[in-house]
Amino acid sequence: MNLVRELVAMSTRDRVRAIQDLPMSFQEKKHIRWVLKHTGNKSPCHCYNLTSFRKCGSNVRSARQTLELWQGTMKEIGGKFGTSVLSYFIFLKWLFMFNVFSFLVNFGFITIPQLVIYITHPFFFKGYFNYTVMYYGSYSNETLIGAMDYKMQLGYFFTIAVYMLLCGIALIFSMANSFRKNYVLADSTSSGAWQLLCSWDFSITNERAVRQRKNNLRIQLKESLSEKAQHEQLTSSEKLKHFGIYLGSWLLSTSLTVGCGASIFFLCQYEIKAETLLVPFVVSLMNMVIPLFYSLFNKFEHYSSQRRQIYALVLRNVLFRMCILGVLCYYWMNVVACWESVVGQALYRLVIVDFIFLMLGSFFGEFLSNVVGTRLLPRLGVPEFDVARNVLEIIYAQTLAWIGIYFSPLLPAIQILKFFILFYIKKVSLMHNCQPPRRTGRAAQMKTIFTALLFFPFFLGALSIVGYTTWSLTPSEHCGPFRGLNSTFSVVEVWIKEVEAIPGSKWVVFIYQKVIRSEIFYFLITIIILIIVYIFWQVSQGRKQLIVLLRRQIVNEGKDKSFLLEKLQNLQKSQELKVRLERSTIPGQGLLRTMLTIGTLQRSRRRTVQPPSIVS
Amino acid sequence: MGNKQTIFTAQQLDAYQVSDHVYSILFYRYRDLAPQLVPLDYTNNPDVKLPYELIGSMPELKDNPFRQRIAEVFSEDGEGNMTLNDFLDMFSVLSEMAPRDLKAYYAFKIYDFNNDDFICKSDLEKTLNKLTRNELTEEEVRMVCEKVLDEADLDNDGRLSLDDFQHMILRAPEFLSTFHIRI
Repeated sequence: MNLVRELVAMSTRDRVRAIQDLPMSFQEKKHIRWVLKHTGNKSPCHCYNLTSFRKCGSNVRSARQTLELWQGTMKEIGGKFGTSVLSYFIFLKWLFMFNVFSFLVNFGFITIPQLVIYITHPFFFKGYFNYTVMYYGSYSNETLIGAMDYKMQLGYFFTIAVYMLLCGIALIFSMANSFRKNYVLADSTSSGAWQLLCSWDFSITNERAVRQRKNNLRIQLKESLSEKAQHEQLTSSEKLKHFGIYLGSWLLSTSLTVGCGASIFFLCQYEIKAETLLVPFVVSLMNMVIPLFYSLFNKFEHYSSQRRQIYALVLRNVLFRMCILGVLCYYWMNVVACWESVVGQALYRLVIVDFIFLMLGSFFGEFLSNVVGTRLLPRLGVPEFDVARNVLEIIYAQTLAWIGIYFSPLLPAIQILKFFILFYIKKVSLMHNCQPPRRTGRAAQMKTIFTALLFFPFFLGALSIVGYTTWSLTPSEHCGPFRGLNSTFSVVEVWIKEVEAIPGSKWVVFIYQKVIRSEIFYFLITIIILIIVYIFWQVSQGRKQLIVLLRRQIVNEGKDKSFLLEKLQNLQKSQELKVRLERSTIPGQGLLRTMLTIGTLQRSRRRTVQPPSIVS
Repeated sequence: MGNKQTIFTAQQLDAYQVSDHVYSILFYRYRDLAPQLVPLDYTNNPDVKLPYELIGSMPELKDNPFRQRIAEVFSEDGEGNMTLNDFLDMFSVLSEMAPRDLKAYYAFKIYDFNNDDFICKSDLEKTLNKLTRNELTEEEVRMVCEKVLDEADLDNDGRLSLDDFQHMILRAPEFLSTFHIRI
């Protein structure tokens, strides 16, 4: 009944969740809900609203589930290969959704008005026949006069801005969510227990995969048992050798990165007209070969844990790709007439060639490795699906799309096609060429890392490129929706001046001038946010200390419990011994003596602890 | 599904807290195991129990080393014979929507072979044997179980209580995604 009272006191949404969380059978839950319904003081009208709201929510959810793309395929992949490989496909699907949204938004707000303009003003069509609606250059700066005036300039700018903002928010929320669920305090100590009890993947349904998983678990357990002895200290000469190897490999990888960047830069300058496919070809070739080369470093370097190895590999790959993208963007920012369309075309070609190379990479990475591993060099064995490398490839592909949205609004359409085909290629390649991973990967943490990688270097980089373009660079004179303006952002200024003329909209102008354009506002906001961050940081430090104290307290309680149990057992033993002694020595007065002894013992023990029932 | 019509009362659907779509998918899966035993009309809550052999032959469960324990934990009679409610319970706990504490509670019950509300050393040994096809030596089994107890047993009573288990789950975030069966 306490439970019912608690549940009645909660809000309806909390109550629904609380009942769902109860570890009871369906019958018991149904009973509780029935009790709540009949003891609550809600009006019947309220009940009806609640059920109809829930039904609405559940209908929305069921509609979403019927539209679930690739549900059956994911189940198949998860069943055979486990959750860590499945996380790659889930990530691919998530990025695919970003592009679908982007395409719909761009097509609806940018392309359709432009097509309407082409239809109503056919003479424009001839002049800009060079460019299709794919690229920036073919968009006009006209205003569509109709029921509502639709300014192309504003439409273009705000669509892109709002889309990037929504992407950023979605990424931040997803990152925060997975960080909250998957943040682990100190996981290095619990490897044995974790492997045994938590790592069995219940979603594996294929018999061979299950057998393989069992083998892998056995091997891992044996390794971890033998690793106990491996935590000895390395001698200083070995440490020096390891340090030398680390330094050498990092120098090599950095110099490779810088060399590739420089060569791309010179290649761009040599190829004056960006009409050929040379630059995209070289860039994509490098993107495919150099990461494979970095993976070879693993043979030489010995990191203390496998996780550090993966982090080092990922860091190197990220630095390499950022460097290439940076060089390309720097070159593009310095090109001449109608440069936005040129950049758009270059990006379009880069995306297509990258797609071709992804397919080739699948061929080399997986099919050839399989052939080599099974026929030519059986020692290598069947390859595993390299989740980290594949995820980085699709993050890079998505970054290209994000950079390209401003210059070529319909690029997401190409990206949608690319990811759709890539999904099936990777699935087929996985099924035919790869085996399930030998080490049970940390799928949840990797998902957090992937999202963080997507957001921090790549999304923010793309956003800053687009931001720099709109803020500082002058739009080209003769093409595009922002022709003739000083910078793209001045579109908003012009619009605000027009809005000022409309009566009753003083607040919009006020917000624009006092909030968005004033530096003091940003300064104050930054200070406030820094203070809040500092406070939260201190709170979390305090909580960490609290956790340590509580853990110690639990251990102490356990020790207290065992100490008291021991003392109790000793007392009981000594008392039984005394009883036996009394009985054996003085038979006559034994009973009286015994009872007296028991009495004194009882009295003395009552002072310390509750006595158990004395049975002789 | 063609012209067959399942009949549930609105109350039955409401009370289950999953979407109608998922409820009907699960019901059809349950019925497909034994179409002659399970009626289409559930308004009168017929008392139908499917034996463990049928449940254990589902493709999602037939290769799972813990299928017997899963069926036993979720069945009313503790023997693995499941009614529709048990079946729905099982798949809802094993779905991705179930909260972590609920999953931890049921995982604990699954690994507790002797049903004494504690995972003692013999339970650990049985779990280990199910997970490694009985190929570890006695010595290795003993060492692994000792290691597990060392790391997870906080109150030092030689066995894992539900709190110890939940504490360990907190430090293994993969648990939410691995304790999951897709239907």
